[in-house]
Amino acid sequence: MHSSSLQNIWLVARREYLERVRAKSFLVMTILIPALMGTLVLGSALINRSLGSASHLAIVTDDAQFATNLQTEMISGDGAKPKLDVYSPSEPGIRAQLDAQLKAKDGTLDGYLVATPPSPASPRGAYEWVPKSKADVITKARIEDGIRGALTRETLARSGMGAAEVNSLLAPIQLKTDSSGGGSGAAFGSAYGMFFLMYFVILFYGMNVARSIIEEKTSRVFEVLLATMKPSDMLAGKVIGVGAVGLTQVGIWIALAVAAVESQLVGSNVHILPSAGQAALFVVFFLLGYLLYSSIAAALGAMTNSEQELQQMQIFLMLPLISCTVVIFNVVTNPDGPIAKIFSFIPFTTPLIMYTRVIVGKPGALAVGGSIVEMAVTIAIVLWFASRIYRVGILMYGKKPNLPEIVRWLKYS
Amino acid sequence: MSIVELHNIRKVYDNKVAVEGLTLSIEPGTMFGLLGPNGSGKTSSIRMMIGMTMPDSGTVSLFGQPFTREALSRVGYLPEERGLYKKMKVMDQLIFLGRLHGLSEGTARARSLAWCERIEITEAIGKKTEELSKGMQQKIQFIAALLHDPELVIMDEPMSGLDPVNAALLQQTLIDLRKEGKAILFSTHRMDQVEKMCDEIALISRGKLMLSGSMREVKAGYPRNRLQVAFTGDGSFIRHPGVADVKVEAGVAEITLRDEAAAQQILADALAHGTVITRFEVLEPTLEEIFIETVGGQADA
Repeated sequence: MHSSSLQNIWLVARREYLERVRAKSFLVMTILIPALMGTLVLGSALINRSLGSASHLAIVTDDAQFATNLQTEMISGDGAKPKLDVYSPSEPGIRAQLDAQLKAKDGTLDGYLVATPPSPASPRGAYEWVPKSKADVITKARIEDGIRGALTRETLARSGMGAAEVNSLLAPIQLKTDSSGGGSGAAFGSAYGMFFLMYFVILFYGMNVARSIIEEKTSRVFEVLLATMKPSDMLAGKVIGVGAVGLTQVGIWIALAVAAVESQLVGSNVHILPSAGQAALFVVFFLLGYLLYSSIAAALGAMTNSEQELQQMQIFLMLPLISCTVVIFNVVTNPDGPIAKIFSFIPFTTPLIMYTRVIVGKPGALAVGGSIVEMAVTIAIVLWFASRIYRVGILMYGKKPNLPEIVRWLKYS
Repeated sequence: MSIVELHNIRKVYDNKVAVEGLTLSIEPGTMFGLLGPNGSGKTSSIRMMIGMTMPDSGTVSLFGQPFTREALSRVGYLPEERGLYKKMKVMDQLIFLGRLHGLSEGTARARSLAWCERIEITEAIGKKTEELSKGMQQKIQFIAALLHDPELVIMDEPMSGLDPVNAALLQQTLIDLRKEGKAILFSTHRMDQVEKMCDEIALISRGKLMLSGSMREVKAGYPRNRLQVAFTGDGSFIRHPGVADVKVEAGVAEITLRDEAAAQQILADALAHGTVITRFEVLEPTLEEIFIETVGGQADA
């Protein structure tokens, strides 16, 4: 009896796994998701690089010292170092010429500044910025900083400070971030990346369980299966099979990421790769989250009769996940704060929030272990309810049950 | 030893009584027809027979033992609606279902091939279910129910959706299985099939057993009060006092009698008047008539 039960679970899980892994959609997803995430990471890196990288600027000014100071300011610091041309306003038609350069399709000029340095008449001076693109707010901000710096240099020099002193005073400060504290920008990126990956795989594979139940329900395969096996074996086999597909996919992604870093395809300054311990915890929290959500999804699937009805019920599955995205910013910036602590111990948000805390914060082994135990208990309870709803629901066709009916289902058996 | 024995089973869903006090038994080598109008409790009864649901009261025995799940490996079941995975290849599907019934992969494959040949559907083997016609899916489902060589075959509406050629093929297969000593239970609305194939029947309506027994026993309970006479010449015999109702069309009189015994008197009467009788037949009640008569009065609900 027991062995035939295990045999059946194995057969169902195996079928579920093979059918899914062989499907084209699996291959597409496996390639598409990392491609999308890679594009996002690369894209944002490119955007960051190109923002403020207005690489060719012009200054129209009489004041050679101001021009030099501005040049010094603009090429110091972390960002891109633009090329600065200096023109005198006395050159005839200079502005018309620069305007023409801005309009030219193949022109490299990104904008020009007309500066009238401070004089007794206008103590702060007058500045006019003509950009190629008005949307380029970053270059505008850099120019503003540059002007302020240039004026500071001038004032300091006038008050008798030596050039070397001025330089050292105004040199940009190198703020190093200790990544062992877990607060580096790379860890932030990694945390967001892993958060959305976790969100996606839990929701996707949870919903897959529900979909697969509806498929068996609408195609009446259940009737055939139930003539040889127990509903609980069917549910167990299905959850294991679909979960194994999820693990396979995550495994492929991790392997791809490792391979990409090993082969230096991705620059070493892009720390999107979690450590081995983090990867292991990812698997643990994915499995816990998947078990919890797929149990709920199984109950939802058994209650409904079609994909459309399932879509309406899907909100119950998504609400806790959505609440995670609402607090995730707070959690990442303050991983050991009260909101992070509370949400990492609500079982439905634990996998996402606790895992994020593991990456960016220091939740402590006790907290992590405690949350895992707490989730295991919740899963056991939810599974108990879900398997009851499942076992009655799969044989019910027709209208969607209301709450009293579901309560009655729980009492059957 | 009865293959199936239901004793006084009752099942209530929410507020609706699906089956009430149903008792029946099926012997080995019997073709058993389970009849009844839509929603009468046929599928509910079948589901209790194979442990998909449990009766609220009463007992179910399979193969002479109180119901256990182990007995299910000796039962083949074809559900009313087709239950196959749409995207799965036919052979993979049959092997999967065969293995769930305890066959090894090799045995399941060999038997699937043999069955596909036997019921002429080898061209479907490499295809996915969704690529098959409804009739072909039905045949695959039919194979799936028989792959593990069950001693009890339960089929809910096995012929629905089949063309006459395929229906005859599957009917013949069922008849062959009965010859091998298997017990076969099937439910249907098609009374002509039941009349042709079944040894025993049970008619249920609104969850209650209305009639049961061998075909002969059931029919014996109904009067042979219909007469068909093909004649030429004098038709005055139709005014015989034993005639309750008559309809004459193209030289054939369809007569309903007040009393079975009147048939011979009418024949004598007609001959005495010099009527030429080319055919004279006392008709058995058809199962369809029995069905309508038994169920008809309650077909409202």
